[in-house]
Amino acid sequence: MSSLIQQVINGLSLGSVYALIAVGYSLVYSVLLFSNFAHGGFLVIGGYICYYSLLKGGANIWVASLAALLGAGISAMAVERMAYKPIRERTPITLYMLIASMGMSIVIENIFVVTIGGRFRALPPVIPMQTVNVFGVASTSASDLLSLVTAVVFLVGLQLFLSKTKWGLAIRAASYSLRTAGLMGVNVNLLISLVFFVAGLLAAIGGIFLSARYSLYPQLGVITTKAFVAAVIGGLGSLPGAVVGSLILGLAEMLAAGFLSSQFRDLIVFGLLIITLIVRPTGLFGKSVGEKV
Amino acid sequence: MIGNAGPESDRVIMSVRNLSVDYGAIRALKGVSLDVRRGEIAAVIGANGAGKSTLMAAIMGDARRSGGQILLDGTPLPERSYQVVSAGVSLSPEGRKLFAPLTVRENLEIGAFPLKNRGEMSEQMSRVYSLFPRLEERASQYAGTLSGGEQQMLAIGRALMARPRVLLLDEPSLGLAPIIITEIFKELDAINKTLGMTILIVEQNARKALMLSHRAYVLQTGVITMEGSSKDLLGNPEIEEAYLGGRKRQNT
Ligand SMILES: Nc1ncnc2c1ncn2[C@@H]1O[C@H](COP(=O)(O)OP(=O)(O)OP(=O)(O)O)[C@@H](O)[C@H]1O
Ligand SMILES: [Mg+2]
Repeated sequence: MSSLIQQVINGLSLGSVYALIAVGYSLVYSVLLFSNFAHGGFLVIGGYICYYSLLKGGANIWVASLAALLGAGISAMAVERMAYKPIRERTPITLYMLIASMGMSIVIENIFVVTIGGRFRALPPVIPMQTVNVFGVASTSASDLLSLVTAVVFLVGLQLFLSKTKWGLAIRAASYSLRTAGLMGVNVNLLISLVFFVAGLLAAIGGIFLSARYSLYPQLGVITTKAFVAAVIGGLGSLPGAVVGSLILGLAEMLAAGFLSSQFRDLIVFGLLIITLIVRPTGLFGKSVGEKV
Repeated sequence: MIGNAGPESDRVIMSVRNLSVDYGAIRALKGVSLDVRRGEIAAVIGANGAGKSTLMAAIMGDARRSGGQILLDGTPLPERSYQVVSAGVSLSPEGRKLFAPLTVRENLEIGAFPLKNRGEMSEQMSRVYSLFPRLEERASQYAGTLSGGEQQMLAIGRALMARPRVLLLDEPSLGLAPIIITEIFKELDAINKTLGMTILIVEQNARKALMLSHRAYVLQTGVITMEGSSKDLLGNPEIEEAYLGGRKRQNT
């Protein structure tokens, strides 16, 4: 029983990190209608900024995290300006942006390989890892609880931003029709930059926790594949869908690892994806194309 | 020129000069010029594919102008949509283009995006609600679930939220039953009269548009072929033949 609860907590914790990544990816998808494969790069940028601020900059974890969040957010905006804006201004065909994003993903990864090398690095022990007792029924690591709480705080913050502010409303409108939002007086380039900033920032939080949980290396971004899968299971472009899909995925992975074998993790992930695509191709919360038009 | 209102109405508020728009090899507008006077309702009538929506899109900065100029109160209108709206021109687009998953109130709020603060926004919202009480009753309903007529009211109300100096309407009659069209056009007349709102309307429904407007232009495959007071155009046999369904429906 206690090991079940422990795996559930671990699963929710992992799922919440996926959610941070998936929500940003989904936000970009909902506004620009393409899969940004460079999203994982933002996570890696955040991870390395945090690592170097701690190690070389002598910063504490708060300052290092802040630097990572802002740095990844600004990098995401820069990627959009350099690689996607010139394309979307010339053609409405989003496939070109998707291809450009694959290119940017390779560029970002290789910048790190070339400049600081491909080896694995461990984040200094700034995130508490000791075992904590949960209400006397289970034990789990402090970092799992911390990542769960942090993710919840940021996801709730995002939800408040989207539902309560003027720019949040503009983003919700743009995710239905970017063009019409422009006709309403919204500066769409500014809106897209804002969306990328938020996506980069959320990815960086995921990057910090993942590099603490595992380790940091230029290909850490491939874990974004799991977040993509979660977003598809939840329904592409739907933010609640991205969160629910991520939690399902995190739980499924951890329960499989705990009660079957670690080797089943990825099998379960892609099994869930295939089942979703067969049973409900638009995902749990997905809009059917008809509704969108 | 013609016109029977005061001297105010003779002043041009928006002037389109020699406007051209190309879609690749297709020239959709070929040097279109027209004036909209302060306080009037001007209409552009034309058949399918004449270029009416292209004209609206070009004014709104939603289609690239390949030549010509648009002046608002004598100054060139900016080219980016959000700047056009801030400058005082807003559009109720063809097919309404509401944000279906947002509520009626949220649709109106997004229309007020260029306004400075919430105070200005709620002031304008109560103005729109008093024009369209039905929208206030349905404030929390999703826009996608409104009836066609209500959706058109919301599209017009949303465009009014930015407090435009010139309101553009692209085929407000599209897809609506005749009785609803009459209701909407009555409302447009009231918006023009009570708010003194300047309106440029483009319509395939030529009869309704000519009956509503003060002056009108005829657009034919990207070229203005006729202009004049709406009354004169309504009585013009050429117009009668081409746009008002010939002799059969001479019931105005
Ligand atoms: N995005 C586009 N790409 C290429 N051609 C276009 C585009 N939009 C419009 N056109 C063409 O430009 C011409 C004018 O179209 P427009 O939509 O302005 O006509 P309209 O007068 O509004 O017609 P309707 O009454 O059917 O709405 C048409 O020949 C149309 O096919
Ligand atoms: Mg049209």
